[in-house]
Amino acid sequence: MAAATGAERSAGGLTAAQKILARASGRARVEPGEVVHPRPELVIIHDGYVETAYEQLTALGYGRVRDPERLVFVTDHEVAYTTPRAVERGRSIRRIAKSWETGRMFDVGRGGHGHLFPMENGLIRPGMFLFAYDMHCTNFGALGALAVGAGPEITTVLATGTLWTIVPHTLCVRLEGVLPAGSHARDVGFLLAHGFAEGTWNVAYDYRVIEFTGPGLQRLDLAARVALCSSITELGVANVLFGAPPPGIDTAGAPDFLSDADAAYEARITIDLAKVEPQVALPGGPERAAPAGSVAGQRIDHAFLGSCGSGMYQDFVDAASLMRGRSLPDGVRMFVVPGTTETARRLADDGLTQVFLDAGAVLLPPGCGPCAGGVMGPLGSGEVSISTAATNHEARFGAKDGAAYLGSPFTVAASAIAGCIVDPRSFRGSAR
Amino acid sequence: MAALVRRGRCHVYGDHLPLDEGIMPFRLAIQRVNDPQALIPHLFEGFDPGFRERVKPGDFIIAGRDFACGKTHIQGFIAMTALKMSVLCTSMPYKAMRRAVAEGLPVLVGCEGAAAFAATGDEIEVDFSTGGARNLTRGSVKQFPAMSPILRELAASGGARGALTAWLRDHPEQAAGETVKP
Repeated sequence: MAAATGAERSAGGLTAAQKILARASGRARVEPGEVVHPRPELVIIHDGYVETAYEQLTALGYGRVRDPERLVFVTDHEVAYTTPRAVERGRSIRRIAKSWETGRMFDVGRGGHGHLFPMENGLIRPGMFLFAYDMHCTNFGALGALAVGAGPEITTVLATGTLWTIVPHTLCVRLEGVLPAGSHARDVGFLLAHGFAEGTWNVAYDYRVIEFTGPGLQRLDLAARVALCSSITELGVANVLFGAPPPGIDTAGAPDFLSDADAAYEARITIDLAKVEPQVALPGGPERAAPAGSVAGQRIDHAFLGSCGSGMYQDFVDAASLMRGRSLPDGVRMFVVPGTTETARRLADDGLTQVFLDAGAVLLPPGCGPCAGGVMGPLGSGEVSISTAATNHEARFGAKDGAAYLGSPFTVAASAIAGCIVDPRSFRGSAR
Repeated sequence: MAALVRRGRCHVYGDHLPLDEGIMPFRLAIQRVNDPQALIPHLFEGFDPGFRERVKPGDFIIAGRDFACGKTHIQGFIAMTALKMSVLCTSMPYKAMRRAVAEGLPVLVGCEGAAAFAATGDEIEVDFSTGGARNLTRGSVKQFPAMSPILRELAASGGARGALTAWLRDHPEQAAGETVKP
């Protein structure tokens, strides 16, 4: 990456990513391509990696982490222990939390999905910088926070309190218009992922911050923004941010977390939301998007609502709007996984849980649900699934030879009731 | 700051060389084989069957765009690091570049024209701190982008594992069994 000249360093507007990384690195200004050592306000690790991180640091002789008060353990990958090994893992994580004096421990049944509940309970704030183990921490961009998924290098963050980070370039995606009925932010995400991967706009996306701007943002609430963040993360983008805070989110007192009007974006593209049709991601990855209608009639065995990409209250409102008063056909099993304990409570209080139960769906505890390797509600050999999972790579929900399609909450709900993949717009037409 | 100058023979490849089945057989990744001696005989096995007989410690890989693409399995990087190899490429996915450096493998990205600078078998010398490269076989020189000092230090000192060992040496208060000083 080209280094900025001295003149460039002192002039020109900044992107949100530059501002947040500069602040976290104790610098007035940082430029794309620079290597910095940002200090995170939080470090989040899920239950699938705590033991590994502990074993690695212990093997090197470590007994203490650098900033235990910033460390957060979340439990979302294996919530309802289904094996003796899982019980032992839970016990081990509690021991590690005590040994490391971990600042916050969210155990089984506390909080829910670690990419969602921290936005509900105030842990994540606009303008915050944090590290997490899991790549889908990009969700926090929906709230204006920059979270970097460190993967296995989270051990370096634990030990040293930071990790080398290259300041990413930012790609501006301007959203215009309004989504038509039956279309969802998830569909926008699938279309974008497809377009990036296929070179539709001939723009670089590897380790780029994708920043959404424009009038189309106004109607995209937090859940819709999370859906956008999640749908394009698996492509290898650095992060996902927005040019304005979500409607109804109080940003008073937050540090500056928005790009300047003259920020130097690497490239710009425009999406007309009015032209977005319901999509599915064909088995293999979120970028394998195709119009839902193109695979209409594909029989399904398994459906799943939830995951870090579509586990917020509004996602279930959208799905319930198509499922109320209807039943799943014989042979279709459906799992409904509220993202957080707070969302589960609201769904119960508002009668939406009953809509799903009346349809014949199974309610699973808040967390990742089947998306975490199919430890709960797995897909069987030769079966076909449609879900709102974060991704649909081979064996994501269990069987290697299962076929996993992705769709929006509308598309998944409509398809589950129909017993085959349908375009939710056509399903809507026949709704009672 | 550690100097990082390497000299060796080149193995020149094209664009989009994947980690799985290109640099290392996929089966060794899913088996999580991490022993370098078990991995080295399989390096570039499926892509360049003659590599095993040709490679010498300290050799260079010269590649085009999107080097080490696909799922970021680290087995290929483990083997290359154990052979003290280095990489010059036009580009590689960010995540792959991170994992390579974290394993201690020096990589120079942004090396446009590297394939024309050296052919397989040529001996080259590269100073990673300046990006300066000399083709000793041809007697030519080429300037590539330098490796960031932070990444160079990391690669030269044994990757993330080496850095963590050094950190603990400098911060004994974090060692197991130590008590926190008031």
